[in-house]
Amino acid sequence: MNVPTEHLLILAAVLFSLGALGFLLRRNLIVILASVELMLNAANLTFLAGARAHSSVGPLNLDGPIFALFVILVAACEAALGLALVIAFYRQKQSVDIEAAAELRG
Amino acid sequence: MASPLFYALSAIAILCALGVVIARNPMQSVLNLLGSFVALAAIYLLSGFQFLAAAQILVYAGAIMVLFIFVVMLLNLTDREEGQPILMGLFNGRVIGSLAVFAGLAVSGLISTTGNFAAVDASAHGGDLDNMESLAGVLFSKYMLPFEAASLLLLATLVGVMLLAKRERSGSQGGGQA
Amino acid sequence: MKDYNLLWLMPLLPFLGSIVCGALHFATLSARKKNPEVGAGPGALAAPVAILAMVGSFVVAVTAFFKLKGLDAAGRAMGVESSPWHWIDMGPFSVDLSMVVDPLSAIMILVITGIGTLIHIYSSGYIKGDPGFAKFFAYLNLFVAMMLMLVLSSNLVGLFVGWEGVGLCSYLLIGFWYDKGWPAEAGQKAFVVNRIGDACFLIGAFLLIRLFGTLDASDIAAGVAGILENGEQMKDLGLAALLMFGGACGKSAQFPLMVWLPDAMAGPTPVSALIHAATMVTAGVYLIARMNPVYAACPDVLFFIGCVGALTAFIGATSAIRQTDIKKVLAYSTVSQLGYMFLGLSTGVWAAAVFHLVTHAFFKGLLFLGSGSVIHGMHHEQDMYKMGGLRKHMPKTFLTFMVGAAALAGLPLLSGYFSKDEILFLAFGHGGGYIVLWAVGLISAAMTAYYTWRMVALTFFGEERFDVDKVHPHESPTSMTMPLMVLAVLAALGGLLNLPHVLPGYGVMKHWLEPVTDLGTRVFEATGFVESHAGATTEWLLLALGAGVALLFSHLGFRRYLNGPEPDMADARRAPGLTGFLGNAWRLDGIFEIFILIPVRLLSEFISAIVDKLCIDGAVNGVASMAKLIGDDTRKMTTGSVKSYAVWMGVGAAALSLLLIWI
Repeated sequence: MNVPTEHLLILAAVLFSLGALGFLLRRNLIVILASVELMLNAANLTFLAGARAHSSVGPLNLDGPIFALFVILVAACEAALGLALVIAFYRQKQSVDIEAAAELRG
Repeated sequence: MASPLFYALSAIAILCALGVVIARNPMQSVLNLLGSFVALAAIYLLSGFQFLAAAQILVYAGAIMVLFIFVVMLLNLTDREEGQPILMGLFNGRVIGSLAVFAGLAVSGLISTTGNFAAVDASAHGGDLDNMESLAGVLFSKYMLPFEAASLLLLATLVGVMLLAKRERSGSQGGGQA
Repeated sequence: MKDYNLLWLMPLLPFLGSIVCGALHFATLSARKKNPEVGAGPGALAAPVAILAMVGSFVVAVTAFFKLKGLDAAGRAMGVESSPWHWIDMGPFSVDLSMVVDPLSAIMILVITGIGTLIHIYSSGYIKGDPGFAKFFAYLNLFVAMMLMLVLSSNLVGLFVGWEGVGLCSYLLIGFWYDKGWPAEAGQKAFVVNRIGDACFLIGAFLLIRLFGTLDASDIAAGVAGILENGEQMKDLGLAALLMFGGACGKSAQFPLMVWLPDAMAGPTPVSALIHAATMVTAGVYLIARMNPVYAACPDVLFFIGCVGALTAFIGATSAIRQTDIKKVLAYSTVSQLGYMFLGLSTGVWAAAVFHLVTHAFFKGLLFLGSGSVIHGMHHEQDMYKMGGLRKHMPKTFLTFMVGAAALAGLPLLSGYFSKDEILFLAFGHGGGYIVLWAVGLISAAMTAYYTWRMVALTFFGEERFDVDKVHPHESPTSMTMPLMVLAVLAALGGLLNLPHVLPGYGVMKHWLEPVTDLGTRVFEATGFVESHAGATTEWLLLALGAGVALLFSHLGFRRYLNGPEPDMADARRAPGLTGFLGNAWRLDGIFEIFILIPVRLLSEFISAIVDKLCIDGAVNGVASMAKLIGDDTRKMTTGSVKSYAVWMGVGAAALSLLLIWI
């Protein structure tokens, strides 16, 4: 059961970058939101890896899991609101293409 | 034993993440995300965070993903979109679904062998890292304020979502316009 | 030293009067806006207000004088003083300002307030009807306040405040009728030339600070004795003395800074009388008299002052011979007489210069006011060639003018005779190089008599050269003739103040000034400077010589011009040859133009075109255009595309995290 902390962090890094790429490169709003969720998950993983590393050399570190819990909570709220915005956006533009949201061009 | 499992799970997670980014169809994208979540939950479990793994499945995979899929279906986005970068035919819904199932099996397998993953690293503490008791203790003492704030946040989200997603009423009914 | 705090009233009353007159002026302006027909309006009150302020000031001056008289000699040396005001404190250098009436400043304040009051009364008649009536009195009162500050200050810094103040008032008053071209330019010329003198003054003052650590007059006097042995410091002292004399040149119109005084005649005649005859131009003489220990320690500088004074006297006198404007004659005459005062200072007998200062104030003030009366009566005609035979039309003006002219020419027994002859006698008696100065002075005295009586003959005698139908000369009102009469008496009897050594009752003023001049005398004893070697016989001879020269040349001048001017003398300024040279005051203005004005003009044009337009404007505009360029570029970031915003967010986040890691 020995998972070296570094590997966890590398995994988190890879997931985060993939999420970032998706966030920047895709045009579909849904996919963009999904990428954001991916990034949040990667951050969660980082927190937990850190808590684990701290606990193994010092006192029991519960801040990591607590923070990750709150991140999940906030991610839930954000996803809900984001999707509500997607719906509202779809009603206006009949599309979920982000290029349609270019009215502030100037 | 755990180490190869970890690498397998992380491989699944990465592949699913790739699928999220690459998939043409938003439905495919979302399903890939689901797979990634499940794999991550398994990894949490492997690292000794039981509660968090459960929370991940419950909230992320159970609630958020459902919401995503619901919205995709509501807006009828299941058809292909135009002009997308790299398409890999591999990453369609069926493959993903199966990968998700596999991940779930792995999780249940892991859970069934509870005794084997007490503290991952030889921890100086007798107790577990993610013990429900200790977590609860900290949550309701040191993190009381964020806890309460979180409830407010949920309330705000509730109200916001309701307002945003409301259908505009045409006609003389002035109240409750979004 | 007595404490006489009411001394502050002396400059304060005219200052307040100035403010009140200024308010009256503005009241008049607003009244005139509402109703253009109103005459003087509230401004008419300005004359009584100003005159009252002057009378009050005069009363304080007289009181201070008698207080001073009551003290013994030692007390008089300290003077009547108001309590000091700690003004500047900069560590090693501090300035305590107080008003001091010692024998020297007592004379000055009596002259300033006394003659000032007379001129204020005169002005109420002369300036009547002018739209700027109240403004005139405001400026005049302010001038008196500043001049009093100049002579009363115990410290050179306070003196300099007054110095600058009178320069300002001179500018304002010369340019009083500024909507015509000449007065405005003349005011500017006076101010700028003065400024050159002021720069010298300041540098000299800085040197004094370096030497003595203070600018307090009495402290400096005490300090001079201490450094007489120190060669290095004596050189600095000489330089400081020279520079302060440079300042005096500017204010007192000595060569080469004399060019502003003839042009200052653009101002109203009372201004010329007060400022450019009696008071402001004597500030330079006062300064050197006040600093007499410093100058006593530098005999070379004294001789230089004498040379400049003699030269100025000569230039002034020769230029006056060929002037056609009555005020210009008097202006050059003033320049010339000021030269005499500096010549007097240079002999080391300070009292002689001060004596001439006082008598000059009497008779030159009288002459200026008289000429003002003539101009007023001739409806502002100033060209003598258009006058003539006025003695029948203006008897009072004529008689008083004659007295003044006699005094100026140095006719015996009048005040000018005694004061001028004293100076010449002392110059002769000193020997050495001063003999040359004496000779120059004597020639200038001859010319003075000549041009003075030329002026009298052209103006009051001979046939009437003006158009009798158009011009009706008349006598001036009492407000103008009364001061004339008072000054005539003073000009006639003023000689009694300081009779020559050989006459009984001699040297009253010299004795009076001893507490102040003793400081210088002690320095003279230390340096071995002897003021005069001459004895009584020489004095009698020179008195006779002076009388003879004056009478002879007065007669020559009078006779020559009794029948009017020469036919070809219409405008001396445009005439060629010697006449033109003299008429234009040795073409000094032209020299200034070539050597100073043109290069300065070229330099300023160069700076304006190249430094200002190219460099500075270029830099400022360059900054602006750079901002615009940057703005244009960054404007392209607002594409409206969410994706590009997201990209920039990502880039920013990455940069921030890199920053946090590396720092």
